[in-house]
Amino acid sequence: MVDTKPLLPASNSDGSYLTGSRVNSLKPIKVYLTIFCGLLAVGLFAALLIGNYWSDNARIHGSLASSTSKRTYPLRPVSRGPAQGVSEKTSGIWAGVSRGPAQGVSEKTSRVRAGVPRNILPEPLNSTMLEWQRTAFHFQPEKNWMNDPNGPLFYNGWYHFFYQYNPNGAVWGDIVWGHAVSKDLINWFHLPFAMVADQWYDKNGVWTGSATILPDGKIVMLYTGSTTEAVQVQNLAFPANYSDPFLIDWVKYHGNPVLVPPPGIYKKDFRDPTTAWLTSEGKWRITIGSKRDKTGISLVYDTKDFINYEMLEGELHAVSGTGMWECVDFFPVSKTEGKGLDTSINGPEVKHVVKVSLDDDRHDYYALGTYYEKNGSWIPDLPEIDVGIGIRYDYGIFYASKTFYDQNKNRRVLWGWIGEGDSEAADMEKGWASLQSIPRTILFDNKTGTNLLQWPVEEIESLRLNGTEFEKVAVKAGSVVPLDVGPGSQLDIIAEFEIDKEALKKATGSNITFSCQTGGGAAKSGALGPFGILVLADESLSEQTPLYFYIAKDSDGDLKTFFCTDLSRSSKAPNVDKQIFGSYVPVLKEENLSLRVLVDHSIVESFAQGGRSVITSRIYPTEAINGASKVFLFNNATETCVTASVKIWQMDSAFIRPYSDDDDDKDDDDRKSSAPCFLLCPINYIVSCVTCLYFIYHVSKFS
Amino acid sequence: MNNTISFALLHLAFCFTLVSFTPISALELHGTGANMVETTCQKTPFYNLCVSALKSDPRSSGANVAGLAQIGTDKLKAKATATLRQITALLKVAKDPKLKMALRDCADYYNAIVKYDIPVAVEAVTKGDPKFGVEGATDAANEADACGRGFKNEPKFPIYASNKVVHDLSAVVASIVQLLL
Repeated sequence: MVDTKPLLPASNSDGSYLTGSRVNSLKPIKVYLTIFCGLLAVGLFAALLIGNYWSDNARIHGSLASSTSKRTYPLRPVSRGPAQGVSEKTSGIWAGVSRGPAQGVSEKTSRVRAGVPRNILPEPLNSTMLEWQRTAFHFQPEKNWMNDPNGPLFYNGWYHFFYQYNPNGAVWGDIVWGHAVSKDLINWFHLPFAMVADQWYDKNGVWTGSATILPDGKIVMLYTGSTTEAVQVQNLAFPANYSDPFLIDWVKYHGNPVLVPPPGIYKKDFRDPTTAWLTSEGKWRITIGSKRDKTGISLVYDTKDFINYEMLEGELHAVSGTGMWECVDFFPVSKTEGKGLDTSINGPEVKHVVKVSLDDDRHDYYALGTYYEKNGSWIPDLPEIDVGIGIRYDYGIFYASKTFYDQNKNRRVLWGWIGEGDSEAADMEKGWASLQSIPRTILFDNKTGTNLLQWPVEEIESLRLNGTEFEKVAVKAGSVVPLDVGPGSQLDIIAEFEIDKEALKKATGSNITFSCQTGGGAAKSGALGPFGILVLADESLSEQTPLYFYIAKDSDGDLKTFFCTDLSRSSKAPNVDKQIFGSYVPVLKEENLSLRVLVDHSIVESFAQGGRSVITSRIYPTEAINGASKVFLFNNATETCVTASVKIWQMDSAFIRPYSDDDDDKDDDDRKSSAPCFLLCPINYIVSCVTCLYFIYHVSKFS
Repeated sequence: MNNTISFALLHLAFCFTLVSFTPISALELHGTGANMVETTCQKTPFYNLCVSALKSDPRSSGANVAGLAQIGTDKLKAKATATLRQITALLKVAKDPKLKMALRDCADYYNAIVKYDIPVAVEAVTKGDPKFGVEGATDAANEADACGRGFKNEPKFPIYASNKVVHDLSAVVASIVQLLL
């Protein structure tokens, strides 16, 4: 009888003895084998965990965040001017691309011989003009692309500035956090990258973030990471070593991300967390911009530890039709005192500002209003100039701006990213792109009650060299007056304009609404404008950048003043931005028209009425460069004479260069320690398991 | 017997409903794919070029706007690379010095398009910060424009057609990426 169920235990007594003995002799081996395998599995798993823990420690002691393979800039000081030569990157999407040095006159011929594309700039741009474009006292890295300012703060005697940076090219991409420190917001030391894209939660980009300084002096950095799946999440980082005044190394929290897009929010519409402020319950509150369809919104979160968050119902604010809100900023301003306020301050003497960067039009808008802490909401004072549809920080090129409270001098300071107005090809050619504005103090304009006043930080005045004063210069209708101050590429200009009061009364009104953009530029005459200053202008005025006021009188006799910049004749080169920028600026009855201008090669920052309206522009002249660049007063109005008082200083260059320290080598040693253990642990474990089992086997044999 | 018949009828009815619904839903899916291309292209300055470029890629059916943006950028890269090869080939045989100069300028512009503008656009779309993609694509259109301007005073513009396609396609890609903002 064949055993039809062979797998069942043997039931007949004949087979059982045999099976039993075979089972008995097999049993110990099988048991040992199972135990061995089990122990091995556990051992390997433990080894993996231990290995991970050790490599984590190495990161804290060393600087994995700034690993040598990613550090690309030279540690030697470089004088003002483009980088001396670019070593080719072997990684990233710009691998194998030669950009070459942007220097010297014989560049064209030498590059042709080298077999690389020659100067691709259209006539008449050449490398001298490109070299001139690099600024003397505006913050910029030595080369390549920069965009948003990140996490500005003052700590332990140093101002810190971080920024979006592409280590591999002069266009956006491969973004990491650049880092620099300064004592005075003007002269800077470049430091190693603070953070690179080395985790799954920021692999596709270490994007914008903000710093919060806690009462005990600790610093919390919240930033947006674009994950390997391109989902936008918020991550936490903090300094590795508080006793390092330069705060070179940063640690990313091991439990990142701390915030992911909530339900109902698209995974690519959730970025740029703000500095946190305290609520009366003692919790920290942040806001993060987003959108629902085309309505820009800002979400609010409360946290006690910056690790666990509760999202508030509703939003800080929402404005339909504005699109995605990037780089949201939220801060208090004092209505009565002329100083800045810590982000957590609240009270009756305070107004709150909401600022947004609109993805759709690349402009920064702000509005003043009231903050309601109970439900974390904010209502604008004037909904018709709500955030995103009202006043802009700057009517020129200025985006992704961010403020911080400078506890060193009790002021609120604004940073803004100034992009290029030329082509990407030109940026490639010169090897760099983008600047930061000179940091500006922010104050509530209590004269108008609707505006903020921006003004370059006073430290910029330390760069003033010799000044020339021009008192009460009469500029007749339709005339141009040269102001002889020497070379005009690095200047600080303060000007005041007086209009003939009679002319104001007599001038004919018109029912055509004026705007800078449609007003025809500086060449189109009106009764009471345009008049102002020409900068970066050559002797023959073939190239000129007018910064001007235009007083429009409507049919009712009301006067409205506009402040504009006209780039239409700023350069003979094609492929550069030639728009007209500007807007209405409130002017009170007793006020004269005032203007401050910082000219720094290819950037011009102009401030009207004490900073009530600001325009930043990028200028790329072909003639009005170096010694040929001059300043003029002009008056293109037909019915009024203008009296101008001007003071102009030549400006020295700032030093903005890498910190020349040799102690960056110590990082390498720490990282080596983790590797051998990871390999040895499982081997050790297997050997000990085998010996153990052998011992047990022999012991059992004896017993 | 009765039970069996009623059960069989019920089963038949169920199958029939299932079968009749499936082709409709399948049609709808395909329909949506085609509609997505058309509605997206309507928002670009060159509708016909947009539709033909996107539809020529099988991935376009069922793609969302981001997917269409990537397809558009791929097509643009192919076109620009091909035009660059055309220019290099023409440079080898060209004799007229003015023609050579204009062609050399175009070669440089197209190098910029293929090496910088398009990779930036691709990276911006995939990583989720589309505004830089708009910039990259717009710059590509400008470079193609600049190339064309070099032939303004020339009797012949040998790469006129391909240059126009690259310019128009860049503008199309820029508008599609703009939709992602």
